[in-house]
Amino acid sequence: MAIQAAVGRLPETPSQVINREKIVDFVFDGKTYTAYEGDTIASALVAAGVMTFSRSFKYHRRRGLLCAAGACPNCLVQVGDEANVRSCTTPVQAGMKVEAQNAMPSLDVDVMSATQLVDSFLPAGFYYKAFIRPQALWPTYERFLRQAAGLGKIDPDSEPGYFDKIYKHVDVAVIGGGPAGLRAALAAAKSGARVILMDDQSSPGGHLRYRMDEIDGLPAYEYVAKMAAELVGFSNVEILTNTTAVGRYDRNWVGAVTGNRLIKLRTKALIVATGAYEIPLLFENNDLPGIMLGSAVQRMIHLWGVVPGARAVVVSANRRGLQAALDLIAAGVHIEALAEMREEPDADLIRKLSAEHVMIFKRTTIKRAWGIGKVQGVSLESLHSGQIHEFPCDLLLVSTGYTPANQLLFQAGGKLRWNEQIHEFTLDMLPSDVFAAGEAAATHLLEDIEREGELAGLQAAQFAGFGGKIEKVTFLAAKVEERRAERIPWTQIHIAEDEAKKDFVCICEDVTRKEIKQSIQEGFDSVELLKRYSTVSMGPCQGKMCNINAIHVCAHYNQKTVAETGNTTSRPPVTPVTMGALGGRLMEPVRVSPMHDWHVKHGAVMMNAGLWKRPDHYGDPSAEVRAVRERVGLIDVTPLGKFHLRGPGVPGLLERVYTNRWQKLDVGRVRYGLMVTEEGVVLDDGVTARLDDDFYYMTATSSGASGIFENMEWNLQSGWSYDVHLLNVTDLRAAMNLAGPRSRDVLAKIIQGVDLSNAAFPYMSVRQATIAGIPVLLLRIGFTGELSYEIHTPSGYGLHIWEALLKAGEEFGITPFGVEAQRILRLEKGHIIVSQDTDGLTNPFEAGMEWAVKLDKQDFTGKASLLMANQKGVTKKLVGFEMPDGTIPEEANQIVRPGNGPIGLEIIGRITSVRRSPTLKKVIGLCWLPTEMSEPGQEFTIRVRGQMKTGRVVPLPFYDPDGLKLNS
Amino acid sequence: MWKLIRHGLNGNKPLPRMWRTHDLKDSYDVVIIGGGVHGLAAAYYLAKYHGITNVAVLEKRYIGSGGSGRNTTILRSNYLTPEGVAFYDESIKLYENLSVDLDFNVLFSQRGHLTLAHSDAAVRTMRWRAEVNQIQGVNSSLIYPDEIAKLCPHLDLSEHPRYPILGALYHPPGGIIRHDAVVWGYARGADERGVHIHQLTEVTGINVENNKVISVQTNCGTIKTGMVLNATAGWCSLICDMVDVKLPITSHPLQACVSEALKPFLDVVIVSGSLHVYVSQSDRGELVMGASIDPYQSYSLDSTLGFLESLSGHMLELFPSLSRVKILRQWAGVCDMTPDYSPIMGFTPVEGFVVDVGWGTYGFKAGPVSGKRMAELIATNRTPDLIAPFYLGRFEDGALIGEKGAASVGH
Amino acid sequence: MILLTCPNCGTRNVSEFRYGGEITKRPNPNTATQAEWANYLYVRKNVLGVMPEWWCHQSGCGQWLIAERHTKTHEVLKTYVWEARPQE
Repeated sequence: MAIQAAVGRLPETPSQVINREKIVDFVFDGKTYTAYEGDTIASALVAAGVMTFSRSFKYHRRRGLLCAAGACPNCLVQVGDEANVRSCTTPVQAGMKVEAQNAMPSLDVDVMSATQLVDSFLPAGFYYKAFIRPQALWPTYERFLRQAAGLGKIDPDSEPGYFDKIYKHVDVAVIGGGPAGLRAALAAAKSGARVILMDDQSSPGGHLRYRMDEIDGLPAYEYVAKMAAELVGFSNVEILTNTTAVGRYDRNWVGAVTGNRLIKLRTKALIVATGAYEIPLLFENNDLPGIMLGSAVQRMIHLWGVVPGARAVVVSANRRGLQAALDLIAAGVHIEALAEMREEPDADLIRKLSAEHVMIFKRTTIKRAWGIGKVQGVSLESLHSGQIHEFPCDLLLVSTGYTPANQLLFQAGGKLRWNEQIHEFTLDMLPSDVFAAGEAAATHLLEDIEREGELAGLQAAQFAGFGGKIEKVTFLAAKVEERRAERIPWTQIHIAEDEAKKDFVCICEDVTRKEIKQSIQEGFDSVELLKRYSTVSMGPCQGKMCNINAIHVCAHYNQKTVAETGNTTSRPPVTPVTMGALGGRLMEPVRVSPMHDWHVKHGAVMMNAGLWKRPDHYGDPSAEVRAVRERVGLIDVTPLGKFHLRGPGVPGLLERVYTNRWQKLDVGRVRYGLMVTEEGVVLDDGVTARLDDDFYYMTATSSGASGIFENMEWNLQSGWSYDVHLLNVTDLRAAMNLAGPRSRDVLAKIIQGVDLSNAAFPYMSVRQATIAGIPVLLLRIGFTGELSYEIHTPSGYGLHIWEALLKAGEEFGITPFGVEAQRILRLEKGHIIVSQDTDGLTNPFEAGMEWAVKLDKQDFTGKASLLMANQKGVTKKLVGFEMPDGTIPEEANQIVRPGNGPIGLEIIGRITSVRRSPTLKKVIGLCWLPTEMSEPGQEFTIRVRGQMKTGRVVPLPFYDPDGLKLNS
Repeated sequence: MWKLIRHGLNGNKPLPRMWRTHDLKDSYDVVIIGGGVHGLAAAYYLAKYHGITNVAVLEKRYIGSGGSGRNTTILRSNYLTPEGVAFYDESIKLYENLSVDLDFNVLFSQRGHLTLAHSDAAVRTMRWRAEVNQIQGVNSSLIYPDEIAKLCPHLDLSEHPRYPILGALYHPPGGIIRHDAVVWGYARGADERGVHIHQLTEVTGINVENNKVISVQTNCGTIKTGMVLNATAGWCSLICDMVDVKLPITSHPLQACVSEALKPFLDVVIVSGSLHVYVSQSDRGELVMGASIDPYQSYSLDSTLGFLESLSGHMLELFPSLSRVKILRQWAGVCDMTPDYSPIMGFTPVEGFVVDVGWGTYGFKAGPVSGKRMAELIATNRTPDLIAPFYLGRFEDGALIGEKGAASVGH
Repeated sequence: MILLTCPNCGTRNVSEFRYGGEITKRPNPNTATQAEWANYLYVRKNVLGVMPEWWCHQSGCGQWLIAERHTKTHEVLKTYVWEARPQE
């Protein structure tokens, strides 16, 4: 039930964007309000007479609608689970739950506003000078400070929502759909370029959308709507409304956001026509609710038919200020007084205002505003005589200047320069593919804006390869230059001699002019240091409202010019962007083998192995180990890196990438290979089989696969001249390992084309055969320590072969096994896992793999490093150990001895792998020890869960030391 | 505190300047290049502990404008190697007393630091770090999702994410600090003791005679000196080029961003190596977030959209409820990466030219200790034991430090 | 985003490429002194300016190429394969 109707609306006009037929209810701070479709939260609240929208960051002062353009912090609200929503740009939706932020307990009664009573004890950076002693109390103080921090709230149960991304590619992108952007887009479109125009409002038109003054016999909003309509007619133009360009990155890569979608745009030429921000003025109590910028008032009146006051005072310093005063009169507002900062304001408009009996004070500014909870009156001060005039009012319209919305130009590498002629920063040294037009380039007169837009459009099209209008460009360029030289200021900044009370330079962070003065006195006298110390411009508006005033105040106290003072860096994004839009749909790839569904169906517990999903076990890893040792098991090893190497240069390439010898590998044989980096650090291992004269098959670890492939390609492409063709078949081949004493029996049942006998197909050899008509590659190798065959087959047949093997193995008690069983099996056999048992500095000598390093080879990757390491000798070794008392240490437990450390211990080694062996019925593992302690039989101390336990070095491997099983 | 009240009651008479400006003198005993936390701390400790006050700190922009003002303010000492742990532990201890030492509240907030593990291998590495830390007397332990949930209820600890959280290295002394305040506090302390801080002063050359430093050229004039400390980050190779000292360093951008201010909900610092994310919530309520370095060499301070995209995606994997939280500002710094993810501190082949460089992504954490120990090195002309492992010659000697595994997202 | 031109695929976003680092000159491993080898392994020019460097078109054709890129402006002056490199 609505308790407050939408009141205070003007009669319907064509410029309004509300649909009075459709009424929607929403809730603000527990009260229900009524709005029209098309209203923003802010326009509906203002229409309902709401003045206080939020409480300020530090002093919890009341804040009302100020810019109505999504720039300032004043109207930030919580909408449901979304914090810091700009109510002035967010359309009302039926049932919306809107809450005020940073108010305790409520917007009307905020106890934290008491802080402003003690503000003289809270100067800029007060926290740096307080709470130092006693040190022990700081965490308590901090808890209190922290409770006061922040604006909106997070709801931990918030649903993520749907977010997405889209790519766009164009010749010319125009950012901003005001008169400059529209003219630019039209010019570029007529040249034949593919054009995108982005505008952050619901329709193009820029500031003309809420302007009534007549242009070419039409009201401004109609004039610009006509321009937009012309653009719609071009098939080579895409117009994106409600779309905000948030950043211009390297090579005209533009990020833009529309709703929940991120647009990533690459454009040949970029036109920035983003307009300007109207900026506030510095005076006492310049933050009271009821003080609004001229453009905000015009938006309220012309877009939503809302009048934000009844008795107004206007402070103006340009044409638009005076036009806003006329708009107020037309809307039935009584103007108590108009202060015009200029000496000679626009005569045509002054005449009109005088005709309405407005009391006009020239060369006059505002000194202070007053009021309890809202503006109730103002003091105007003559800049000539200092004479003061006081007027009551409930609305203060301030329209005294602009700062160009030139962040994208700055991000593009443009250089900021203060222009004393027009009192604004302009940008030059733009890159050749970036163009600026209109208010973003500090040009405010409509005819000039349109001309600049047209020029930028033609130039951008020309840059993108759509030229031909050279004479026109030359003519327009000359005209633009001439007009720019004649520009008059639209901005007046008045820094009074003395600072007043509560004159906020930065409304986001509640930084007053006095605090800036004090910061400068303390030595923070450059704008960048000042910003960091006083926090001016660090809040939600990111300097849009405060930057220019802050620079002026800084210059004032440093007794320097604004040009000398300079500006701070503008960083992306231009407006805040949700992490949802930036993150998009969360797409973390998953790699699965062709047998994946089978594993899941048969109860496998899956684990992540890099991008792959692998069966960790199927319920009982120890039973799986026993099955392999006693009967036969089958494991999916599809994630292995798998490569085809073809050509006469293969042995040379292998010699280069592996540490061991490869010149004499016979067809049909397989060899283990070890790779190190140029630094001699163990990188990867695997096997390579020679399938034919010029055809080899290599495997690598699954995590190393893509890196190894690219490194081999580098060796082929960086001048080493190997005649090799390399193919990464990792994704094309499924692989499984049939392991255990009965594996030959299983294979024999279903394989054709190969003699499986030990003599014909011995350990470390390779055969090509078929199983049920499917080609397979059989590698007789043994990571598990048992007779075993690694079977590689085209991925599409993976499941078929897997199931065929299981069926054939039924009578032998075949058992699928997972990664955990494999880890135990390999440990029993003493095989290392690269990067688990080795680390980022391990060389093969330390890892006990000197047998795989042939230092007498002419060259190989890492040779010099290993020559030197070999000469130096090893100081530590990777060895096998067992735990005589049966304790199971944890992997990464440290090996220690008494020492000088804080707990009396010195680290001398560590455990890298450990398991209780179901086969040997004891605890076995691999560990690093100093060389002098690495002989079998030597004992050492491990810190296990804080307790000291004894381990004993034993020779490797633990299982089948003579390799009888492998060769059986 | 009393100072503030006095200041308030005095009608806010001007507070004293934190540091003064001086004309460049003709000569200084020590010239420190780089007005970040390392350079200023070295100057402070030279004056405080060694009575060496004829010192100039040269800063080409404003103090703290480099890495010191661009990092994500995380402090911790839970490193992997014993030498790394001992070194950073001393730094944390100096940080713990820094507010009192400098009489300037640097807002050090030891709110605990969690490094998440999303794989068996990561759990193993976290345990490794915890074990080394405990033996070195540093408070760290491996904890599991039930305990993680108590420290950080907003994390998604379910089985649903692509890489579920399996455990975490919990380091209670770790936390965040106000980085600029550390810079300003050291600057004030150094200035009080007579050190000259020269901002907007860029070194353009270093003159060496008979392999010995004799003077430093700047855009503001030439300074005679026999001792130069290169305490720059991002540009250390360019300074070393001036004296032909070769460095095993490449410079890479490191990016970060903050969100709009939110009511505090995240107490601990969260780091995920596999997701390349670290995040904390400042006392202002902003989420301060970073990732790993950009993969290519660059001196650019430009940000990228790709960083925001991947960081946000990964943040939402950890914290699905933050999808409507808005990013307010992004920036980048330049990090000098060494092959072993450890810094280079000490003497160089050029007499009178010492370095404190190669700080990668972990320089801010070490500001106090490296300042203190480099001051000791300069004053005593010998390398303190604590920093001896980090000498420049270790690369030629094959004595690299094994920190790479733990520090690749070292925050 | 930086743009790199792959000799096979044309101009692409840098996100498709893997960085390979500065181009280094490998000494003869059989005769290099420890200092020369360490220099090759670790010391980098780290120039502020244009630098030839390796890139691999990882998410494209797999080509390794050399880019001459400015390390501050990120402008890529040219790209080429090893065989087409300018002779020293």
